[in-house]
Amino acid sequence: MPKITIDGKTAEVAKGTTVLQAAQALGIVIPRYCYHPSLSISGNCRMCLVEVEKSPKLLTACSTEAADGMVVRTDSDKVKAARRDVLEYLLINHPLDCPICDQAGECGLQDYYMEHSRAKSRFPQEDKVRRQKRRALGPHLVLDNERCILCTRCVRFCSEVTKTSELEVMERGDHSYIDLKQGKALDNGYTLNLADICPVGAWTSRDFRFKQRVWFLKRTPTVCLGCATGCLMEAHHNDGVLYRLVPRPNAETNTWLCDHGRMTYKAVRAGDRLAKGVIKNGLIELEPALREAAGRIDENHPAAAVLGSPWLSVEDNAALARLAKDAIKTENFCFDFPGAQGVKDGILINEDPAPNARGARLVKDAYGGIALEELRARIVDGRVKTVVTEARAAAFVRDAVKASGARLIVFATNRADIPPAAYATLPYACYFEVPGTFVNFQGLRRRAEPSVAAPEGVRPLWALVNRLAAYSGASLHLDSAADALKEIVFK
Amino acid sequence: MAFTLTDEFKQRAEKICARYPRRDAALIPLLLELQREAGYVAEEAMDALSGYLGLPYSRVKAVVTFYTMFNRVPAGKYHLQVCRNISCHMAGAPGLLAALRARLGIEEGETTKDGLFTLSAVECLGACGDAPVLQVNEDYFGRVTAEKLDVLLEDLKHGKYPSTR
Ligand code: SF4
Ligand code: SF4
Ligand code: FES
Ligand code: FES
Repeated sequence: MPKITIDGKTAEVAKGTTVLQAAQALGIVIPRYCYHPSLSISGNCRMCLVEVEKSPKLLTACSTEAADGMVVRTDSDKVKAARRDVLEYLLINHPLDCPICDQAGECGLQDYYMEHSRAKSRFPQEDKVRRQKRRALGPHLVLDNERCILCTRCVRFCSEVTKTSELEVMERGDHSYIDLKQGKALDNGYTLNLADICPVGAWTSRDFRFKQRVWFLKRTPTVCLGCATGCLMEAHHNDGVLYRLVPRPNAETNTWLCDHGRMTYKAVRAGDRLAKGVIKNGLIELEPALREAAGRIDENHPAAAVLGSPWLSVEDNAALARLAKDAIKTENFCFDFPGAQGVKDGILINEDPAPNARGARLVKDAYGGIALEELRARIVDGRVKTVVTEARAAAFVRDAVKASGARLIVFATNRADIPPAAYATLPYACYFEVPGTFVNFQGLRRRAEPSVAAPEGVRPLWALVNRLAAYSGASLHLDSAADALKEIVFK
Repeated sequence: MAFTLTDEFKQRAEKICARYPRRDAALIPLLLELQREAGYVAEEAMDALSGYLGLPYSRVKAVVTFYTMFNRVPAGKYHLQVCRNISCHMAGAPGLLAALRARLGIEEGETTKDGLFTLSAVECLGACGDAPVLQVNEDYFGRVTAEKLDVLLEDLKHGKYPSTR
């Protein structure tokens, strides 16, 4: 294994390791634009130049393989001068519109300029090459060709990750710019990653544009509930409002996020967000809604059933299991969701659109219950007359409910999710508002952490379950989400 | 009108592809073939060729736009390309260009109304020893003077294609 010395520190690295990676392992960060750990190496930006002993010229650290006995300096005067020059070069045609640029505050040009240059440009502002600005390309992105430094990260992402190859560098020299086919939209399901990996403000998100200055954003690590892949991500928010979701790259699951997952936060403040209960089609306050629901359940306990949901956290599913077992005292409960699970597009998106089928299975392991087929049969033959479940999970028994006219009581966050057959709907706090545990398709346990407060009067689902039980005269002693987990064994 | 590659073209193309270890390596020679046939490489031709070679359209377009030798709009019968790089510049290229603009009444990148001439300024043609150099379609004319230019234009107008020297 080659031994390499960088700025006086020595490390032994695996063969094939680049100087940039070796430096990183030694805690030395070499500035870079075109290099991205998850994309092929391009070596075009020259920002990573370092001095290598016995080499007459500076070398690009991102594309130079570490060799045995190599002695590298990243802090010599020659390297510092090179960084200044590369920055001056990259900024020749840059519009410097930071005051109206979304990238400001997390921009590679700003950061490196402050760190490595601070020199005055010798190129007059008036002579800059002008390019197209504000090009809406596809449903999620805007491209500003003037800001682009032609690092080709976006080009490589589209050819290597999504393999859709929409983008290329057109023309050459200072005529060059990023473009795609005339009249085509950039819409490959993963486009918002371009706004993340673009080191400057060339690609920006249409959704996030001009909403917040990034330095005001607070960051909460959480998990995407857009499908069973359960990508790790970070929610960015300020003053109780969510603004965007970005990936938390990790070796197990994801480097990127899909566009669908990226937009899941929109439901939190959507126009159809439920803050009140719904009986048939009319809105009513939460307490009367709960009382009504409990009354219907109490009409006939043996004919009530509880169906868990792969869209709910393990905690909320466990609370529902307790409702069935300890309050309603029925055998009619089901936490059995097979769900085809596996990545369906070869990138991230899972065959199972629900995030927690495996978490629901843990609840089944702890509390038992009947199979989904059996529940459907009992609904159809009239043994079950009332079903309590979550709005999207109601689809699992839709045909049975339709056939028998059984009464449906659902928990929902948004009106659009409520099945037409629902008799009563109870609003609950989503997992951007309350914590929850989820188990992704790989069996990895993941936490959703709250980043914003629930709308006034909206409570966690386990707390609603606690109230329903109380109306039925039973106490479940659920004072927190964690209380519901007591009997669950995580593998 | 949809553009299709003719069978005749495809036969030639197969032979060209066979010269390379990978089909897509034949991109530039095939673009030149297309240009030879039509005088330029149309947007639809790029589409058809990308399908034929199994390359993304964007790749084909990037190559066509990278090389100034590919015309993206129909050129006149004679494409006059004046080198404007250093050697030719010092040997009188600016005067040559100005003379052509005046004689033809067009700017660079334009085509005369009769469709006879297209004028372009191009980068070094790799024939600096003969500066100033003018390329007409695929032929080079070196050490071009005002007199030589007059003769050349007259010849071309009368359908006489002179030898290159
Ligand atoms: S748009 Fe951004 S990612 Fe793409 S080449 Fe330009 S600077 Fe790089
Ligand atoms: S692949 Fe699934 S978990 Fe990952 S971001 Fe998309 S929807 Fe979310
Ligand atoms: S990061 Fe090495 S050349 Fe761009
Ligand atoms: S400079 Fe004109 S041919 Fe080289």
